[in-house]
Amino acid sequence: MKLINIISLWFLGITLAALLIGTIVIYEKLGSEIDFELGMELDRQIESYADRIAQGAPVNKLIYDKLQIQEISMDRPVEELWLRDTLAYHDPMNRNETQLKASRSFKINGKHYRISYYNLVVEADDITETIVITMLTVFLAQLLFIGCFLWAISRKIFRPFHQSLDQLQSFTLQKNTPLTFKKSGVTEFDLLNSFLAKMSTKLLTDYRKIKEFSENLSHEIQTPSAVVRGKLELLMNESINGQQAALIQAAFDSNEHIRRIVKSLSILAKLENDEFESPDPVDFSEVMASVLSRMEEVIQMHDIQLKKHIQPGVILPIHPFVAEILINNLLSNSIKHNLEGGKLDILMDRSMLQIRNTGRTPSFDPKEMLGRFKKDGDNKDSVGLGLAIVNQICKNYGFGLLYTFEKPFHSIQIQFR
Amino acid sequence: MKILLVEDNPELTSNISNYLLDQGIVCECATSLFEAQDKILSFSYDCIILDLMLPDGNGLRLLELVKQKKIDSSVLIISAKGSLDDKLSGLDLGADDYLAKPFHLAELLARLKAIYRRTKMQGFDEVVFNEITVINSQFQVLVKNQLLDLTKKEYDLLLFFLTNKDRVLGKNAIAHHLWGDYTDDLSNFDFVYQHVKNLRKKISAAGGRDYIRTVYGLGYKFDTAAL
Repeated sequence: MKLINIISLWFLGITLAALLIGTIVIYEKLGSEIDFELGMELDRQIESYADRIAQGAPVNKLIYDKLQIQEISMDRPVEELWLRDTLAYHDPMNRNETQLKASRSFKINGKHYRISYYNLVVEADDITETIVITMLTVFLAQLLFIGCFLWAISRKIFRPFHQSLDQLQSFTLQKNTPLTFKKSGVTEFDLLNSFLAKMSTKLLTDYRKIKEFSENLSHEIQTPSAVVRGKLELLMNESINGQQAALIQAAFDSNEHIRRIVKSLSILAKLENDEFESPDPVDFSEVMASVLSRMEEVIQMHDIQLKKHIQPGVILPIHPFVAEILINNLLSNSIKHNLEGGKLDILMDRSMLQIRNTGRTPSFDPKEMLGRFKKDGDNKDSVGLGLAIVNQICKNYGFGLLYTFEKPFHSIQIQFR
Repeated sequence: MKILLVEDNPELTSNISNYLLDQGIVCECATSLFEAQDKILSFSYDCIILDLMLPDGNGLRLLELVKQKKIDSSVLIISAKGSLDDKLSGLDLGADDYLAKPFHLAELLARLKAIYRRTKMQGFDEVVFNEITVINSQFQVLVKNQLLDLTKKEYDLLLFFLTNKDRVLGKNAIAHHLWGDYTDDLSNFDFVYQHVKNLRKKISAAGGRDYIRTVYGLGYKFDTAAL
């Protein structure tokens, strides 16, 4: 829900409540005020009739439909003014109407009269009607104003906010330009904008630092790693004994392991930075065929039965180098983690690639297999980044990736579209 | 063969020059672009081993200079950058080969010799060692004038041994030489063993001496002093 709608709804709700309270207060106040004034008026009338009686006017001549004069016993105390609503006959309207009746008693010339005077009152219904109509008008006027506010003024006030939102949406790390905002004149928005601008600058510098780090990392580690490898190769040529040879081999293997990790991490970093732009669509079937031909010997030597069904001419918009890494990693995995004399099925058509291979039951959830450095513990040669790279490639190109295990088959399926 | 090595890392420089010197290759060193430019303009080299990341600039500029001045030296690029772009722009500019760091020293030597054979001998050369003759132009191997029936891998392997005589060739180096970058995480040392075994068998069958020795668990060595 839009902020302006929430504010408007709250505002309307509160207004409605205030109007309701106002209605009740006005109703009560108006009613009692009218009754009071009318009572006073009736009192004056009664007093004037009492005066006329005192001056000797004949009592029965005075009586008419609005006036009652009753003679009561002298023993009763003088009654104070007493007001009450009553239904009485109203002559002009020729029917009974709610009327206010005021009575009071006077002792005049040794006689005790109770004088009652009636008058029409403003009925409660009439008051209510008037008040409700007034209040409704006020409420509708407010609705109208708020509507106008929503439509016109809010757009003006919130324009800088929406501009900031648009800019935020189009912000990417790749463009490498920090956010800049125009002064809006609204303190809150300017505060938000200055904060956003600062944050985007910080984000960009951090991102650049990380990027530089991962870029430098590969160079900075590769050189000493190359030095180590060279030294070990030179050492191999010295006169050494078997024990020393074993030490050299162990050091060599570990150095190779470092090299492979750095290589994989730098590929991952490049993929994450989207550094591979796909120039032209690639014949994926051809890439598959060339990688397969390179691995055929390895497949044979592991005594793996290869079954392949590859549709020719599968064209994909993918960088050729990335295509090669993708297939290479998938096939390497399916060979590396295969069983001796196991099976390898490759199925590829225009919509998907499926690679199925026999292998040991994994010791953890297959879903976790796609994470970094996830591998079955006993395979020390494996770096554990192969599938993470595959995963990242699929993310980059919007391919669906599904890894399942159904004893004894590991299956990877890539949905191209 | 006279080589100019352009590399700013002193340890790497000493590794390479040590290894090449043992093979009778004279190796001069330059640690910066400036020094290298100075040297190639003053002396002539058969091959320049060129690192791309130098303290005073990109090594590709030296390559441009070589092409511009029509200097008769082959160029082998060695770079840690290892990205495809570098490789392509290097080869586009006319480098003769590209080797990503870290590399095996034996591999470097093999590449150097291959470039040398390609450019100086136009491929019409023969590598002769005692009774073994490798005719590069025809991919043929003769042992005691008898033609050996070798697979492509066995041929490559023999040439690799002959260019790195009397050096220990690690299993990794051999595997990398035969299968390239891509299979390096498939533990294919058993296949190295298979290929070496087959090669030895074929040479022996043709009456050649068994020059190839196993060096503990490390690898193999083409021992010229074998009896």
